Amino acid sequence: MSSATVLAPAAVTRESVATAPPQPDILPAVKPKKGFIGFLRRNPTIAIGGGLLLLMVVIAVFAPLFWTVDPTALAPARRTREPSAMYWFGTDMLGRDVYSRVLYGARVSLIVGFSVALLSSVVGLAIGMVSGYIRLADSIIMRFMDGLMSIPSILLAIALMALTRGSVQNVVIAITIAEIPRVSRLVRGVVLSLREQPYVEAAVAAGTRTPRIIWRHILPNTLAPITVQATYICAAAMITEAILSFIGAGTPPIIPSWGNIMAEGRALWQVKPYIVFFPAIFLSITVLAVNLLGDGLRDALDPRMAKRL
Amino acid sequence: MDRRSFLKATALAGALGAAGGMPAPALSQGAAARTLRFVPQANLANFDPIWGTQYVVRNAAALVWDTLYGFDDQLRPQRQMVESEQVSADGLTWDFRLRPGLKFHDGSTVTAKDVVASLTRWSARDSMGLMLKALQQELVAVDDRNFRWVLKKPYPKMLMALGKNNTPMAFIMPERLARTDPFTQINDYIGSGPMRFKRDEWIPGARSVFEKFADYVPRDEPSSWLAGGKRMGIDRIEWLVMPDPATASAALQNGEVDWWENPITDLVPQLRRNRNVRADIADPLGNIGSFRMNHTTTPFNNLKARQAVLAALSQEDYMRALVGDDDKMWKPLPGYFTPGTPLYTEEGGDILKGPRNMELAKRLLAESGYDGSPVPCIVAQDQPITKAQGDVTADLLKRIGFNVDFVATDWGTTGQRRAMKNPVGQGGWSMFHSWHSGADCINPGVYQAIRANGDGAWFGWPNIPAVETEVNNWFEAPDLEAEKAAIRRLNKAAIDNVVYAPTGFFLGYQAWRANVSGIVKGPLPFFWGVSKA
Amino acid sequence: MFAYFVRRVLATIPVMAIVALFVFSLLYLAPGDPAAVIAGDQATPQDVERIRASLGLDRPYLIRFGEWFWNILNGDMGVSIFTNLPVTTMIKQRIEPTLSLMVLTLCLAVSIAVPMGVVAAWKQGTWVDRAVMGFAVLGFSVPVFVVGYVLAYVFALELDWLPVQGYTAFSSGFGPWLENLILPATALGMVYIALIARITRATMLEVLQQDYIRTARAKGAGQANILFLHALKNAAVPIVTVIGIGVALLIGGAVVTESVFAIPGLGRLTVDAILRRDYPVIQGVILLFSFVYVLVNLAIDLLYTLFDPRIRY
Repeated sequence: MSSATVLAPAAVTRESVATAPPQPDILPAVKPKKGFIGFLRRNPTIAIGGGLLLLMVVIAVFAPLFWTVDPTALAPARRTREPSAMYWFGTDMLGRDVYSRVLYGARVSLIVGFSVALLSSVVGLAIGMVSGYIRLADSIIMRFMDGLMSIPSILLAIALMALTRGSVQNVVIAITIAEIPRVSRLVRGVVLSLREQPYVEAAVAAGTRTPRIIWRHILPNTLAPITVQATYICAAAMITEAILSFIGAGTPPIIPSWGNIMAEGRALWQVKPYIVFFPAIFLSITVLAVNLLGDGLRDALDPRMAKRL
Repeated sequence: MDRRSFLKATALAGALGAAGGMPAPALSQGAAARTLRFVPQANLANFDPIWGTQYVVRNAAALVWDTLYGFDDQLRPQRQMVESEQVSADGLTWDFRLRPGLKFHDGSTVTAKDVVASLTRWSARDSMGLMLKALQQELVAVDDRNFRWVLKKPYPKMLMALGKNNTPMAFIMPERLARTDPFTQINDYIGSGPMRFKRDEWIPGARSVFEKFADYVPRDEPSSWLAGGKRMGIDRIEWLVMPDPATASAALQNGEVDWWENPITDLVPQLRRNRNVRADIADPLGNIGSFRMNHTTTPFNNLKARQAVLAALSQEDYMRALVGDDDKMWKPLPGYFTPGTPLYTEEGGDILKGPRNMELAKRLLAESGYDGSPVPCIVAQDQPITKAQGDVTADLLKRIGFNVDFVATDWGTTGQRRAMKNPVGQGGWSMFHSWHSGADCINPGVYQAIRANGDGAWFGWPNIPAVETEVNNWFEAPDLEAEKAAIRRLNKAAIDNVVYAPTGFFLGYQAWRANVSGIVKGPLPFFWGVSKA
Repeated sequence: MFAYFVRRVLATIPVMAIVALFVFSLLYLAPGDPAAVIAGDQATPQDVERIRASLGLDRPYLIRFGEWFWNILNGDMGVSIFTNLPVTTMIKQRIEPTLSLMVLTLCLAVSIAVPMGVVAAWKQGTWVDRAVMGFAVLGFSVPVFVVGYVLAYVFALELDWLPVQGYTAFSSGFGPWLENLILPATALGMVYIALIARITRATMLEVLQQDYIRTARAKGAGQANILFLHALKNAAVPIVTVIGIGVALLIGGAVVTESVFAIPGLGRLTVDAILRRDYPVIQGVILLFSFVYVLVNLAIDLLYTLFDPRIRY
């Protein structure tokens, strides 16, 4: 997408670039390549973040192909073995292969992260739109969102998990509910500022119907901030899932996730640190990747977003 | 002086003192030596041992309240608060006389009226107490130091009921407290035990503090579990709740706590390597793991389905999952009674012995007519014992061919769900995991989980007349030989009909600092006789 | 200004009411029965019913909610189902550790993160910038309990410089109080540091491009003077906003940190209460947290006027 339609009005991007302090001349003079490779070259954070994330997705999807065994197969006779040629990451306290569990665990963590990001963005978008556009609903909705936001999200998630049984869907729903207020606030902010713009007023004056205004003018401008926010939400959701499992209110261990592998291994971490260590590394790398991706996107799309996000 | 004190004395204290902070009023060497910091097995959230029957409540209560009798290390009830007792020739009238000099923590004397009120409250909640209540003709205080219990039928196990360590114990409270309804908590914790409870320093969920009761008069005999003289070697006990076992382990190694009730087996080798830490078996009576089936819902309402589980169940798998690689910490259990106790028997337990027979299990399952519908297994994730067992069970049942519906939940929800008698599919359940302290499995009097009287039985409601007949035979057995015979038949009937599936017998460790002495093995932590150097 | 203040305070009331309703309803719908837990293993279903009745758990929703709400307004949060102590007492017992932890973490985080962000903005594009920001993103990415475990292992167990767990009251001396809290505060502060550093850098970057900075430089003002006196003051508004929003993060993180370091605070109290279904405690504590959050953000709104005289209400 070219900057013009996305970041109307005024060439904001060019302006801030023009007044940016000059970049130190550390790169040799190279003709800026066009296209995708050029884009990645100019935005190394997107390249690194996106690349790592892609690696994790590949691992998650093709886990059976990476020399793994059944992650739920237990063999208590071979419990807590150190990492070796046979068990690359060792075995846990029930004799399950940690390597396989970590690789399969990527699935749950990524599913939770992506689902929460997607769901909260969609729902938050809808709520923010309504709230920003319809004055009447605004105060009520925002009060409700304020209320929701003031409950610490971890506690909210634990309480919601206590309502239901442990499962991936319920974890996703619990974390999504806690994250919706942020997105809706963001969208509402964008909508409110956009409504005052001349071209929107012109469209209203011209008689354009509300849905069309929303679709053509408002919505495209919310996409950039929402996308960036979504990556941060994805990262936060993965960490929250780990913390929920740590407390004992997360996904059931029948389905390995990085969070519950660490939670199960926490008691032994002084004597068998590898059970916590490996999932922690994978989780940190993935969250790091998503955060970098978000930073990169934010800087590429509109550096001014940094102030708001 | 350890490294931390040295650093404290130089760098930290100096810098911070300069910042205007006062140094900590350090406990004098003497005072610190008279305080014992203990890490209990669970959080002590409430403190009424008749109302709340968790083990940890009983353990704390044993410090604050005293009992009429107490089990010694041979599981024989010995006199504690009672000076002498007398039973009439027909076995119907029991007369008891209290020791002189018994006082409550508020200074008042313990009288027979307090005893009568306490026994009334206790017997409303305890299984043996309920039996006594049913047989009771009269329970009165004859005078300040004597009370009498008149029954309609003889009850030879009276002293055992009064002295047993199984919860709820027959603690003696002041009359005004004991008059509280047995289903409501007391709100004052005055007893006549060797320690008093410092309510003002209690932070439920974090810390409980006990202080020596100066006016406690211990018996002359040497102490042996709950019997004998309870002489306190420490002035102050602090119970510190630590939710994270790794933290507790580090704290013990660092000297921040003195005694840990139940370190996980995997951490014990590391603890032992520390010069200042000792570890040993906590309770020779151990624990019995339980795979509890619902006899009123599918599929385990069918005997063959239950037997299928027994045929394939590998106690080694369960026990290794619970206690790790140390073979000294578990034993296979082809029966229901605690190894090492007089009534232990393996009669009828062949199906649990020898190599596991998956073929037989699958055949039995097919013969039971199992239709493949989901089997709800309620597994509490917040109790390490149930969690580990649950993982092994999910695997086992899947391999046999059950369609497992793994319900991961917490212990509180388990408690609610298991009480429901609905059919599967409408909120009912098929199995859940639990465990029983070995002390609770020594005989049918205290062993509620072995009873098979249908609706009156423990959750799962097994209904097996053969088992109940033998229970009655045991109650009426005139001597040990007759008891053993009854138990042997009971064991066989229980296994043949699979009251529940025992997953094995396992022990646990306790760990303490090297400068603490007097710690003994027992079904609960005994603080008398313990001292710190 | 005063009118704005009053309006904002009044606005918190519906927010709190919504939180109250939400929390109460949530727990009302939750399965799991405190009566069953209390009754213990040997109880019969009739026993459990009796306990439920004595706890008042069998009455209809509206009555229970109405009664609870009315009591809250009178400052009575009810009595814990499990410990029989008033909820307010339980909270009072455990508020000091959590408050200490949060305040220390806040101070630590702000005093580390703001300079970090300023330096990164000043040296934008250089390796200093990348290093600082890299560290900040890392702080975001590692779960707080992992950080806690590593810190405890290195500094408490191996080096023996600090205690592994526990909390010493402030009244027992500043030194011991600090000793117990350094490791937890550091673990908890990582995420906060990352957040604040990032927002500081971003805002500073924008502020540094402003005309008045160029003027100050032309007037010959020193670098430190420019950075801290002119630029930071103007950057303060978004930074302080993030600090306010981050308080909710702190509360959530405190739950884990208190568990790892065995600090007897409100976080652990809440988790224990939730897992046991101790309704009055859960309701009371969550209400309290929300109230604190609302209060902190209100204070921040008012603080804005200090930083930016253009903001008037």
